[in-house]
This record gives sequence, structure tokens and C-alpha cells, in this order.
Amino acid sequence: MNKIFLTAAIMLSTAAQADGEKIAVFTKNLTNPLFQVERLGAESAAKQMGATVQHYVPTKPDSIPEQMSQIEDVAVKRPNAIVFIPVDPKAMVPGIAKINAANIPVVNVTDRAAGGKFVSFIGADDYSLGLETARFLLKAMGGKGNVVIMEGVKASLTNIDRVRGFKKALEENPGVKLLAQQPGNYQRLQALQVMENLMQTFPQIDGVIAANDAMATGVIEAMEAANRKGLVVGINGTKEAIDAIKAGKMLASGDYAGFEQGCLGTMVAIRELHKLPVPKEVVFPASVIHKGNYQPYDVAAEQRACPKYEDLIKK
Amino acid sequence: MSFALSKPGRFIGALTADLKTIAYRLAAAMVICVILTFASDAFLTTNNLLNVLRQASLLFLLASGLTLVILTAGLDLSVGANIGLSACIAASVMKLSGSALLGAASGVGVGMCIGVANGLLVALMRMPPFIATYGMLWVVHGITFWYMAGTTIYGFPSAFRALGSGYFLGVPIPVYLMFVFLTLGAFFAQRTTYGQEIYAIGANRESARLSGVPIARRLILVYTVSGAMAGLASLVFLARMNSAEGDIGEAFTLPAIAAVLIGGTSLFGGVGTVSGTLVGALILTLVLNGMNLLTLDASWQPLVTGVIVILAVFLDTLTRKRAEARK
Repeated sequence: MNKIFLTAAIMLSTAAQADGEKIAVFTKNLTNPLFQVERLGAESAAKQMGATVQHYVPTKPDSIPEQMSQIEDVAVKRPNAIVFIPVDPKAMVPGIAKINAANIPVVNVTDRAAGGKFVSFIGADDYSLGLETARFLLKAMGGKGNVVIMEGVKASLTNIDRVRGFKKALEENPGVKLLAQQPGNYQRLQALQVMENLMQTFPQIDGVIAANDAMATGVIEAMEAANRKGLVVGINGTKEAIDAIKAGKMLASGDYAGFEQGCLGTMVAIRELHKLPVPKEVVFPASVIHKGNYQPYDVAAEQRACPKYEDLIKK
Repeated sequence: MSFALSKPGRFIGALTADLKTIAYRLAAAMVICVILTFASDAFLTTNNLLNVLRQASLLFLLASGLTLVILTAGLDLSVGANIGLSACIAASVMKLSGSALLGAASGVGVGMCIGVANGLLVALMRMPPFIATYGMLWVVHGITFWYMAGTTIYGFPSAFRALGSGYFLGVPIPVYLMFVFLTLGAFFAQRTTYGQEIYAIGANRESARLSGVPIARRLILVYTVSGAMAGLASLVFLARMNSAEGDIGEAFTLPAIAAVLIGGTSLFGGVGTVSGTLVGALILTLVLNGMNLLTLDASWQPLVTGVIVILAVFLDTLTRKRAEARK
């Protein structure tokens, strides 16, 4: 009985070999557009390199126990390699230890895990992204006026680093006054309501720095409904933000390079299997999407194809 | 109560009967208002008060249907997920057909179908409401995530957007919707046989059954109304935000239940009012408004929210306890 099972398992795994490598891709949720483009990037890279991708996404967004049990699944199913975004950088360390114990090569993408052995880390630098995006706004404001910061989820790593970047840009521009710094929890409706409330207190708001694009669009809706004018920037470079930039409603969006992160993470995983050299770490530099440079980003992620590996690591 | 009252008189009568039961909650909301008036110059202005009412309207629309469910000693945990799916379906129908009316109808329709499904599970399958609607929450979230796949639908006709961001005589349209449904809800609960039967089911299901209340049909009715109100709330959301994405509902479930309970409706059924739910929604909205007006540090906001919610209900429970002790 056992023998039959074993033979079947071996046959299955050889069949998999013939189809190319199997890459398990772990993302945090099905709701954030960022992870959607990362998954598409991973698929595009796998297609180019003849591999297949299996996605693992918690049904409850960012659920620690769900990702943990998905890791246990994967440790049994044994894909050739794993591309991994931890739902929580600290809480998933024991999970990563399980992957390491199973001897499956794993690439850490987007959110840096607090521990465990990884082939590489591929990410974007939230601090410089926050800094460059805020600098772009403050420059457009001529280095003077009143701004508001719309924060994401207070305790999240991305928010802490982005806000640190915003604050640094404000330090460089002493002519700009920070009126308020309030949480919109990365949520569109909350950002809209917070902005409506802030407009009651502050008659003149010249600029808003939002920690993501969903909140930036909420802020824009609030200002438009109240017939108020102001420049708004966000972060992520979502399709919606690019349309708003094109229409002149939004000033700019910091590019989080989500698609590229998905591409490169998967490429690195496959190259590791092929025993090709891989970088220990690639952190995509901050770039700001604005009216003057939005064209290359103005494509649906489904239609995008990964850039060449050499171009990605050059960045 | 005289039967000679004119029709509008009967509506107002229902409303005041409703309001009497929630005097203490109303007092708590007033106290918050008085404190904010002294703390911020921006609070007691027409603009800001209309702003608070508009922000509360979405939560109230959602929570008003839920109130009827909780009055039967039931629960609807799927209202948040319902808003998410109804909004996404309404948005894509509107995009595909180009018709705001068709989009709106499909939004309310989807919400209603989810409500009917909940009602059938609870009334006919005799499932505990918590479990039936908790299961429904995941089913609906799952369908929404699969359907949207992380995308966002945005940009709707301005005629439709007026529902959320428009004004009539200087008052935001959602505020009218809120007061229309407040009056309808209070009248339905206080002055119709249906309403009385719903209270009876919540107070004592067995004696309601013995006195001839068609329990299954009334239960299906309240879950359907709750679903339809979630569908309507999703339209107000769409019209205000001009966009729909898969995760919009998640933030609503607990605040909606909280609004009902802060408003004095009992989780055990039979006690509570729709006006109470309005006050509950207002208290929750005032807290956020106040914290923003005072630009309270983000780190303190969750703590302050919690303390105010507890204090708002404290006075009421205290007086009720005293009254019971006196008996």
C-alpha cells in the first residue's frame, strides 16, 4: 500500500519536472491591488521561464494562522521553490523555519521577514518612497503652504517608514506647515471622512500626503465635493491613481514597483534552482509617477510582461 | 393613543414613542456635543453638523435593517460583506450597461438575495443566526474577492453620484435618506402588526408562536430587510466614493452592530428602537469627527474611541441597575 503511494508520488513529481518548476507564491490578501499586480508579475516571470505558479493567499486578509497552515500544506506538497511575503514580519518567523527545515529555497519579497534563511530579499524602500513622493509635492507647492498627512494603519511597517519619509521632506521645507497627521487606516472611506472633518477645522489645505493611493482618491473625492482645491499625492502607482494623474486630479503617486517585485522574486527563485548567480538583495529605488512620465505605467497589469532580469537587477 | 390622528401625526407619534426609550443615550450624545463645542471652534457650525449627519447616514442605513434582526434575538454578521458584494455588482452592472438605474437595482437586489438566503437558513433550517450569517459572511466575501480579483471599478455618472455627494436645499441627499428610513423604520416597528410581532418573537419566541405569530415568515422578512438595507447602503457608498473594491465591507460589520447596541437594542431581542440605532451611529461618528477636529494623535485614537463608547452606555446601565434594585 505504502509502496503504491510512493510510486504514485514519484510519478507525479517527475511529471511536474517535465512541466518545469513549480513555484509557490505567498501573498498577504486578495483585496489589496498591490498584491494582485505582484501575483501577475510572478505569473509573467514564470511563463517566460517555463515554470508554473501556485498562489497561496489567506481568505481572511493578512491572517497569521491561515498563512501558517498554508506553509504546512506547502511543506508536504513540496514545490520547487517559494516566493514569500509574510503577513506579519515577526509572527511568521516560525513558519519560515518550517520551510527552511523542509529544505525548500525561499525568496522573501516586499515585506522583510524578521528572521529565517532566504535566498534573497526583493523589495522597495518605503522610507525613500515616502521621502521622494512628499518632496515632489512640496516642490510643486513652491516650498510653502499648509499640508495634511493621511496615515495608513498606525502600527504597520510600511506606514511607519513612509511617514518617516514624509516627515523628513517636511523638515527640508521649513516654509510648509504640517496642519495635522491623522489615520485613514489605508481605507478609502475613512480617508474621505477624516478629510471632511479636517476641512471643517482648516480653511486652507494646500497639499495632502497620503500613505497609499486608495486614501489619496478618498481625499480627492472629499475635496471635490466641498469645492476645495489642493494638491494630493499617494503611494503605490495603482491604475486608478494613474488615471487620476492623467485627468489632472492627482499630482503624483510613489511607485512601489509591485509588478517588478513579483517578477524579480520569481526569477530569482527559478535562477536559484538552475544554480545561476542571484543577488542577495534588491531594493527598488523610489520613483514618482506624475503627469510628465505616466505613459509607461498606463497599461493594465494583465497585459504587462516582466522586463529582462538584467534590467531589473540594474535598477 | 387616538386613532383619529392624521397620517403624518401617526408617523411623528411613532417617532416620539421611539425617542422616549433612548433618553439616556441621547443625553450621552448631547454631552459629547457640548464637550466638542467647547473644545473646537469648528464643531458647532452648520457645515460640520451636516458633515456629521452625512457621515452617520451610511452607518445608520446599514444598522437600521440590522436593528430589526437583533430585535428578534437574531444577528446578521454578513452586513459588511453584503455592502462589499452589492457595491461591486452595482458598480460593474452600471459600467457594463451604462444605466445608473439598472446598477442601483442590481445592488439592492443582490443585497436582498443575501438577506433572503440568511432568512431561509435561520427560519427554515433553524440554524443559529450567528453561525448562519457568519458562514454567509465568508461566502459573500469569497464571491466578492473572486469576482474583483484585487481590481477597482471607478468613475460613475454624476446623476448617480448625487445620491451620495449631492445636496438638496443645502442638505446632503444621504441625510434625507437617513431621516426617511428612520421614520419608516420607527413606524414599521412601533405601529404595524409586523413590528409588534417582531418584538414578540424577540421577547418570547414560544409564546409568540402560541399566539399565532408566523415566526418563519417574520424572520425571513427581517433578514431580507437587513440585506436590502445593506444593498441600499452600498449604493450610498458607491455614490460617495465613486469607486468599488473587494474589501470595502470589512470595516462595517462591527461598527454596524455596535451602533445598534449602543443605541439600546438588546442582543437578547425584544427591546430596542430604530431611533436608538440612529443615536448609536451618531455617537460613533461624533467620536471620529471630534478626534479629527482636535487632531488627536493617531496613537491615542483607538483608546479614546473605546473609552467614549463605554462611557456613553455607562449612565444608562447604571440607572437601569438602580431601577431593578428598587423593585
